[in-house]
Amino acid sequence: MIVPMGHILAFSAALFLMGLACVLARRNLIMILIGVEIMLNAVGLTLVGASALWQAIDGQIFVIFLMAMTSAEVAISLAMVVYLSRRRGTITANDFDGMKG
Amino acid sequence: MNASLLFLIPLLPLACGAANALFGLRLPRAVSVSLAVGGAAGSALLTFVLWPLATGEGTTVTLYTWLESGTLQVPVELLFDRLSAPMALMVSCVSTLIHLYAVGYMKDEADYARFFALLNLFVFAMLTIVLSDNLLLLFLGWEGVGFCSYALIGYWYSETKNANAGRKAFLVTRVGDVFLGVALLWLFSLFGTLSISTVNAQAGVLPAATLTALTLLLLGGACGKSAQLPLMTWLPDAMAGPTPVSALIHAATMVTAGVYLLCRLFPLVSLSETGLAAIAVVGAATALYAATCALAQREIKRVLAYSTMSQVGYMFLAVGAGSVSAAMFHLLTHAFFKALLFMAAGCVIHLAGGENDIHAMGGLKKRSPLLFWLFLAGALCLAGAPLSGGFFSKDGILLAAFAQRTPLYSLLWGIGVFTAFLTALYTFRLLYLVFAGEPRKDLHGHALPKTMIWPLVPLALLGLGGGLLNLPGLLGGSSWLHHFLGPLAGESPEVSHGLEWGLWGLATALFAGGALVARARYRRFKPGREGAVRRFFLGGWQADALVAALILRPFAAVAYFFWKGTDDALINGVLDGLARGFQGAGERLRTLTTGRLSNYLMAMAWGTVIFLGWFLLRTLIP
Repeated sequence: MIVPMGHILAFSAALFLMGLACVLARRNLIMILIGVEIMLNAVGLTLVGASALWQAIDGQIFVIFLMAMTSAEVAISLAMVVYLSRRRGTITANDFDGMKG
Repeated sequence: MNASLLFLIPLLPLACGAANALFGLRLPRAVSVSLAVGGAAGSALLTFVLWPLATGEGTTVTLYTWLESGTLQVPVELLFDRLSAPMALMVSCVSTLIHLYAVGYMKDEADYARFFALLNLFVFAMLTIVLSDNLLLLFLGWEGVGFCSYALIGYWYSETKNANAGRKAFLVTRVGDVFLGVALLWLFSLFGTLSISTVNAQAGVLPAATLTALTLLLLGGACGKSAQLPLMTWLPDAMAGPTPVSALIHAATMVTAGVYLLCRLFPLVSLSETGLAAIAVVGAATALYAATCALAQREIKRVLAYSTMSQVGYMFLAVGAGSVSAAMFHLLTHAFFKALLFMAAGCVIHLAGGENDIHAMGGLKKRSPLLFWLFLAGALCLAGAPLSGGFFSKDGILLAAFAQRTPLYSLLWGIGVFTAFLTALYTFRLLYLVFAGEPRKDLHGHALPKTMIWPLVPLALLGLGGGLLNLPGLLGGSSWLHHFLGPLAGESPEVSHGLEWGLWGLATALFAGGALVARARYRRFKPGREGAVRRFFLGGWQADALVAALILRPFAAVAYFFWKGTDDALINGVLDGLARGFQGAGERLRTLTTGRLSNYLMAMAWGTVIFLGWFLLRTLIP
């Protein structure tokens, strides 16, 4: 392998944490979704790295699945965001507190 | 002769009572009433016909086994022997006459069926007590008479006073029943059987302390039913019931059930010196107490109620002095003359137009001379006029007490003698106030129905001639009852003839003295203010107030404490507090659910951090 496994793990961990920070810090629903995407890609990167490390194809197949699932997820979430923005006129996450106890 | 006919003696009244209870109001009145009288009369007739079965050892018959559980066997078993036969005959005969009287007395009542059904049921229960050879069966009858007494005292239940009197009688006698119940359980654990014959036969093997305790427990039970000190407060109030009820239950039969119980178990009771002394002391104390109360009463039936209590006290004294025959003798004569007096009192009240107060009566002799003579017959017996039934029976008791010749019994004899004087005094006070002189108030009485006056005649004859039952040898008699009872009769007092004559002379002098004092005081009576002593006696030595202060009010206070203090404050407080605590905690927990996505995400992230940190720690620190 050209790139050492440690680098791949460190990079994907950094990417994951940045995605998580985005999810936690932003209030805009679209930005939160973007954060989720980044986190998923960090996981995908780990899987590809591990696949290369152990010379097994499973990891890469799993990433294909991941991409399909991500595209489906984005399609649904963005549709819902558009729907919410039309219905309530806002996409700020804190405005949706209908489940307050 | 078929011994199983004996079962018909109690079952006839039961059947007639049940018929009256079920269909009484649908039957024509004459049929319903004849059923009631017929039930009692049938019992009386059967008892008379089956009399030969009682001689010798008596006859025991078993119908079936009522209860069977392990070693507990309760057969429905009757014992018709020398003790139960005269008692059963007296109960059935007196109740027949009282039923007859009740036909006239209840003439204007609408729900007569309930009355006669209960009256018959009472006769059944009483005969069960008398004839039962098993203590549990006896207890069934014991509770049965208690229930009938309760229901009949409160017969006119629409007045709260009457219903309360019934309840009081039920509850106070219940206190005694608890003692009896404990005694029964104890006897069962000792002997493994409740058969009266077995218990009596084996009582000798018990240690003295056990016997004394058992006797005291039995005495407690007898005190409740027989209205002896200290469970006597219910009897005067029981006069709220109709007069036939007072005559039957609270004078002639039920109140003597306690005496009968002690006589029935005399072989056991007599083994305890202390127990006998306690019985005698209770009897003498009650006799004196009730006689003083009777002196001051103003309601005619209450005078008689207290006199009943006093006479039953004499019977207890006789049992305590070891003479069952004297107790039974007085029980029989007393049943006759007291039933007579009560029913005559009912006639008097009827004649006086419902007036109860003897201060308001007077001059009734002119209204109904026959009633006067009948009442006089009863009064002579009660006061112990020489040669009347009451004279011989009361004297037998005093003789038995005197013949014991110990300081305690001599004292009790003295009390008995003094009470005899008081008895003559209050009896003649009653007689003079009711019948002598002029009416003190305008009374509009009703005419007496024939069925109310004729049943009194046989009772008067029985009362006056009752002495023949047990005429002492001194007058050429043969002490028939004493010999008939045979081994069950208890001790026979051995005294010289001279002493016996002396005691008779004393009794006669006391009777004459009481009668003369009463004549002097009450012949021309003017109602006036009553002094403190008189009011004290009128209230029965304020026994009710004493009971209220010693038992009822502390009980109410304790109950109030448990209601307010324990139930309301403690139990409810703890539960309410718990509920409030949980509710508060829930309120606080509720605020965690903000409904904001960011909070949840943050919580999830922190949760992940904690989990990961935990695994890291586990890895780093093995």
